[in-house]
Amino acid sequence: MTFIEYQALTPSQKASYKIKEFFSLLPGRFKSFFAAIGKFFKNLGLKFVGGCKGYGSRFTKGDFATKLSYIVMGFGNFTRGQVGKGIAFLAAEILYISYLAGFGLKWFDKFDTLGTELTHQVIDEVTGRPKSVMGDNSMLILLYGTLTILLTLVFIAVYIANTKAAYEAEQSVKAGKKNLTLKEELQEFLDGKYHVTMLSLPVLLISVFTILPLVFMILIAFTNYDKQHTPPGQLFTWVGLDTFRDVFKVTEGASKGYTFWELTKWTVVWAIFATFSNYIIGMIIALMINKKSIKFKSLWRTLFVITIAVPQFVSLLLMNQILQDDGVVNVIRGYMGLAPISFFNSTALVARVTVIIINMWVGVPYTILQTTGILMNIPEDLYESARIDGATPVVQFFQITLPYMIFVTTPYLIQSFVGNINNFNVIYLLTGGGPNKNPNLYQAGETDLLVTWLFKLTMNSNDYNTAAAVGILVFIVCATLSLITFNMSKSSRNEEEFS
Amino acid sequence: MFGKAKKICAVLLSVAVFVMAFTACGESSDSTSSNTGEVGNYGNYSPLGREAENGTIKLKVWGPDAAQESLREQCEEFCKLMSAYATIKIDVVPQGEEDPASQLLTDPTVGADVFGFACDSIDKLVNAGALLEVTGADKDYVVENNVEGSVLAATVDDKIYAYPETGDNSYCLVYDKSVVSENQAKTLEGVLEACKAQNKKFVMEANNGYYACMFLFTGGVTIDGYEEDGTTQKFAPYNMDTATSTVMAFRELFSKYKDIFVNGEVTKVVDGFKSGTVGAGIDGSWNFSYAKEALGTNAGFAVLPTINVNGTPTQIVNMFGYKLIGVNSSSKYPNTSIELAKFLTNEECQKDRAVDLNWGPSNKNVAESTLIKSDAALSSILEQSKNSVPQVAVSQNFWQPVATLGNIVVDFDNEFTDKDCQELIKKTIANVREG
Amino acid sequence: MIKSYRLSRMISDIVIYVILGGLGLIWVSPLVWLLFHSFRKEGGVSVPYVFPKEYTLDNYKALFTNTDVFDYPRWFLNTFVVAVFACIISTLSVLMVSYAFSRLRFKSRKMFINIGMVLGMFPGFMTMIALYYLLKAMNLTQTLPALVICYSAGAGLGFAISKGFFDTIPRALDEAATIDGATRNQIFWKIILPISKPILVYTVLTSFIGPWCDFILVKIIMGDNRDNYTVALGLQRMTDKEYKQTYFKQFLAGSVIVAIPITVLFLKMQNYYVEGVTAGGVKG
Repeated sequence: MTFIEYQALTPSQKASYKIKEFFSLLPGRFKSFFAAIGKFFKNLGLKFVGGCKGYGSRFTKGDFATKLSYIVMGFGNFTRGQVGKGIAFLAAEILYISYLAGFGLKWFDKFDTLGTELTHQVIDEVTGRPKSVMGDNSMLILLYGTLTILLTLVFIAVYIANTKAAYEAEQSVKAGKKNLTLKEELQEFLDGKYHVTMLSLPVLLISVFTILPLVFMILIAFTNYDKQHTPPGQLFTWVGLDTFRDVFKVTEGASKGYTFWELTKWTVVWAIFATFSNYIIGMIIALMINKKSIKFKSLWRTLFVITIAVPQFVSLLLMNQILQDDGVVNVIRGYMGLAPISFFNSTALVARVTVIIINMWVGVPYTILQTTGILMNIPEDLYESARIDGATPVVQFFQITLPYMIFVTTPYLIQSFVGNINNFNVIYLLTGGGPNKNPNLYQAGETDLLVTWLFKLTMNSNDYNTAAAVGILVFIVCATLSLITFNMSKSSRNEEEFS
Repeated sequence: MFGKAKKICAVLLSVAVFVMAFTACGESSDSTSSNTGEVGNYGNYSPLGREAENGTIKLKVWGPDAAQESLREQCEEFCKLMSAYATIKIDVVPQGEEDPASQLLTDPTVGADVFGFACDSIDKLVNAGALLEVTGADKDYVVENNVEGSVLAATVDDKIYAYPETGDNSYCLVYDKSVVSENQAKTLEGVLEACKAQNKKFVMEANNGYYACMFLFTGGVTIDGYEEDGTTQKFAPYNMDTATSTVMAFRELFSKYKDIFVNGEVTKVVDGFKSGTVGAGIDGSWNFSYAKEALGTNAGFAVLPTINVNGTPTQIVNMFGYKLIGVNSSSKYPNTSIELAKFLTNEECQKDRAVDLNWGPSNKNVAESTLIKSDAALSSILEQSKNSVPQVAVSQNFWQPVATLGNIVVDFDNEFTDKDCQELIKKTIANVREG
Repeated sequence: MIKSYRLSRMISDIVIYVILGGLGLIWVSPLVWLLFHSFRKEGGVSVPYVFPKEYTLDNYKALFTNTDVFDYPRWFLNTFVVAVFACIISTLSVLMVSYAFSRLRFKSRKMFINIGMVLGMFPGFMTMIALYYLLKAMNLTQTLPALVICYSAGAGLGFAISKGFFDTIPRALDEAATIDGATRNQIFWKIILPISKPILVYTVLTSFIGPWCDFILVKIIMGDNRDNYTVALGLQRMTDKEYKQTYFKQFLAGSVIVAIPITVLFLKMQNYYVEGVTAGGVKG
């Protein structure tokens, strides 16, 4: 369809065209997603090779000062009027070496075995009583070893940058240009390189407190860190892919594999229902509140929104109490002459429906807040043409409002879908995973999601490696899903539209 | 006679504790000779290897909130006793029941030197290398003075790792005397009938392996340590028919009284007593004082009743736990810590706790004393230990499958035949042994 | 004709009022129950009737006077302090990251955005132990600054909404300022921030609420140092088996007190919040 044809369409046709286009592009996006990942790694490799190439040639071409910078970092810059820069490079080198000597090497040294010396007790000669002799702690070796590796990678990058800077400084002196002074260079960070200023602190924090622990956790999946191998009393070591094999292996009776598949199924069902029930109900309520003829709009909105302000764990513990067999809901049912319902401990279905409904109580107010503004922005002519065609409000909702909203708020939907897959609080505080009615589930109940199972595995049965493996699998699914949808959504592709 | 002197001493000490709160107790013991006289009951006290650690020794002790005050008093006394050898400062820090295990597993180096814990976490703690072994004379001391079950509970792989503190970490029948008579409390049928007659509920937490194991244990399916690998739960040989018929007997009986049977949290027992809706329930010893508070003189305690299996009244068997005191293996002062742990678990301290906190003793002499015999709650729970499987070497995988079993057994909406029951028992055992 | 149109409109309005009223009741009633029972005098955890029989202020008084086991006032203060600092750092890093991603153009920007998007999706339990030991290496365990770090370090990853918001600000603004000789830094502080009040409020609100809700990480970091617990952990522990029987009514009272400041703040800032989330969440 050409642009002119597109322009000639009515607004409702335009919308439906866009929506169709959106979904027809989906499979292609999947393909290009994996292509993009491949490209990412290819580029990374090329960059690395490029860096190495330049590294050698700069050394041979450079003069003495540049060559010396290969050992004493920053020397080249220092001798060419860039004192501040030179000192910074040198400081980085000294810091890194003293880190290695004082801390890093000792841990990295045992990274291959994760420790060999067992903590044990000996009899103290003076008292005749036992005392403890500390051995290796596999967990600390893994953690601090990982830290050392990551720091080394960062250092290598800085080091390469150092050789490059030395060479460039030499070239510009040769060309008769004046190198930037420290002040000028710093000023550049407020303008041309402002992104570095803005991103460096957050990136540093995220690297240390998010990425490093994450890498640590991923590595645990490849070890035998379980209840038989808990540090500091015991050692654990690398076992390769054994843990993943366990997670996928389905055997007769209770097994991790069976539990994994059962919980995966329920997690997906839960995420779909939890996301869309909140979304649709929230939107309908928002529409009702914002109908022109309805009065006391802010009162209605406040009624719903006030639940957001109560900390979530409080409202969930509260709900748990209210829905107990002898809780207030059943008391009221008793007044009305109805039999009590066991919301959390009768059948899996009842418990699952209950958690989905309670999740609506928790989540709908967010949808109301989120969608109110957008609902107001739906072009009125869409509805008008529908009304002329004689569509009822219900039809209008499903043919115009809902598709329009889904189309426009895809990133939000994906976010809440992923959020629901990882929705620990609702399940943990509401049912604790129960009801426990399936004797084939390994350390799990029937409303357990993968995340709550993961938590039980670490807290109750200390199967850290299984938990890590499950965590990785969950992550892969969530990440793929959100990257694809985010990158194909309108907001990402047309970033510049508003400029 | 002893009691009086003790009481006065305790009052004096508690005043001192209040004044000084966290400050060092070493400072209060100025003259050693007179002090040893005052706490004369430990006159012949002579710590082992006392020359190993001297100077100012700082210790941290973890104990549950309820026991803070008595723990402080006892630590104070210990400091006085030891003041001849060293100046000891003890910091008593409150800790919940399950916290020591999880915290020591996270980081043993910040843990207390001496800490109380429930015996179900001893495997975790020993596995993580967090407990100092009890050897030599200390071992003899523990074995000699404590009831067999409690010593067993402190044992892992034939080695003792802790000092028994209480002998009551379990549950038994708690009832309202105005609903259930003493005679009716002897059989489960009688209890349920009595409750039904007055339309009162009977509460049991079947959805929890700690209580649900009754169904299996009564039928002879009991646990027996670990297999060779040290983690897989071993079950004692059992007869499947007996097991099935016992579990079915529980189900049929509860099902017959299903309008008054409540499968709910143990807190519902005392709540129900308060509101007058519950007639009897199976409740833990830690809630006994609340039950007494709620029912007053009508509070009744008894060992778990019998249940009629195929015409024979069968005694219900439960799981019986102990509280232990352990010494952190990474303590800076292992020797003094061991002394303190021994002190805190000695006869006097156990007696104190029985009086002040209503905690049942693990010490043989205290358990046999009239003090315990005259207390219905404590004597019932100690009596219960005779009809029980000690909570020793229980796999961490035990609880969830057994909870599931209990939950299915009392789910009266579903059909449940003998065959289903057999199947369930088999699956449960397999699940416990999985992983 | 007109009459019937009005009639049908009236009927549909009445139906909507009834539905809204009913749903509103459902939404609010648990909170009303909480409020009433926080004043309950009798009973323990649950009572077999809807409204308490006797009312008392004791539950509230006990929170502030009976502080041996649960030092509520202190934990409240701790949480407040942590929340304020975490909120400042989080807000700054969110705004910095999203501004950079939205307004600045640099190499591998897209890659950074994608990595940032997915990093937050890892279930975090296993990483807590790593966090603990990292903080321990910095000698920060069992202190409040450790909590501030934990709650704000990853905040930069939550850039999506505010990036969306910045995207809606016309680039012509920046261009005009650049022509006048302003640096990027000046543009950020003098031009963009002043018109970003909605997203600022949104970010502040969400990051302020965080520390009031977490009870797992605090336990791991604080260990036995009860002086530095936060209110969420304290309240959660009141419902533990060991304490529930005695402290449940105090838990209800404590929950009410926690909810009050957040509710007030939230209702006051609601409109900004809506503006921020609407503009940022999607760009229609």
